[in-house]
Amino acid sequence: MAPLEHYLIVSALLFSIGVVGVVVRRNAIVVVMSIELMLNAGNLAFVAFARFLDSMDGQLIVFFVMGVAAAEAAVGLAILILIYRNRESTDVDELNLLKL
Amino acid sequence: MAGLFLFYLSAGVTVAGALAVVALPAPMYSVLSLIAAFLGLAGLYLSLGAEFVAAVQVIIYAGAIMVLFLFVVMLLDMRREERKPLRLPVQKLAGALIGVVIFAVLLRVIYSGNVLSGAKGIYPAARVSEIGNTQALGKILFTDYLLPFQAMGVLLFVGIVGAVVLARRRAD
Repeated sequence: MAPLEHYLIVSALLFSIGVVGVVVRRNAIVVVMSIELMLNAGNLAFVAFARFLDSMDGQLIVFFVMGVAAAEAAVGLAILILIYRNRESTDVDELNLLKL
Repeated sequence: MAGLFLFYLSAGVTVAGALAVVALPAPMYSVLSLIAAFLGLAGLYLSLGAEFVAAVQVIIYAGAIMVLFLFVVMLLDMRREERKPLRLPVQKLAGALIGVVIFAVLLRVIYSGNVLSGAKGIYPAARVSEIGNTQALGKILFTDYLLPFQAMGVLLFVGIVGAVVLARRRAD
């Protein structure tokens, strides 16, 4: 079995890629997907630590993260559809109504 | 040996899929590569002996949640906004820089030498495979984690109601 560090490196890579996606991409749906990537990086770290610490708690927390991710995706995508109806676009550069 | 092979295969699929999510221009391709990344993650969970988590990852994440994303990508016609210049040209550079810095910090923590300093639990791999992964999880979920479990039910209910309220058309 691969050592813990290797799992954590994959997790860190996933998280960094997610951060880059949130900063660089302008399409709101891709931004939400990058956030999902970061949540999954956390999940992977939880499961890896649970395995190497002989515990089950990390695996359980993954279910709660998944539940939160599902609720967030449902509400977030509903908000995106509303934005698209009003602005004909989901480009986050154009959502600047709150700007001074 | 087989476990190591599974790890490197799944890790490669996961990281390649994640990179494709960020790099590919069309949202449709991003959704498909995210599904590939989630399947790779399921393989990683399998190599960690978390069979039930792997199954749930495939069914809930790669199945249910990504179908939601696919629906929205197909519902909204998003081809038009592909070829527009960025408002801030430095954005790409800044994003890459932030990513590299965060990865470097995480690497530094991973190799600091005391990541695994927590107390050992009571579920070593041999015992889990003796009881069965799913049964052990269920036992903890419905005893120690009963309150979070119920709270998550409420959260999902609120999420459903919120999505319906937000996405319906106004009656006027």
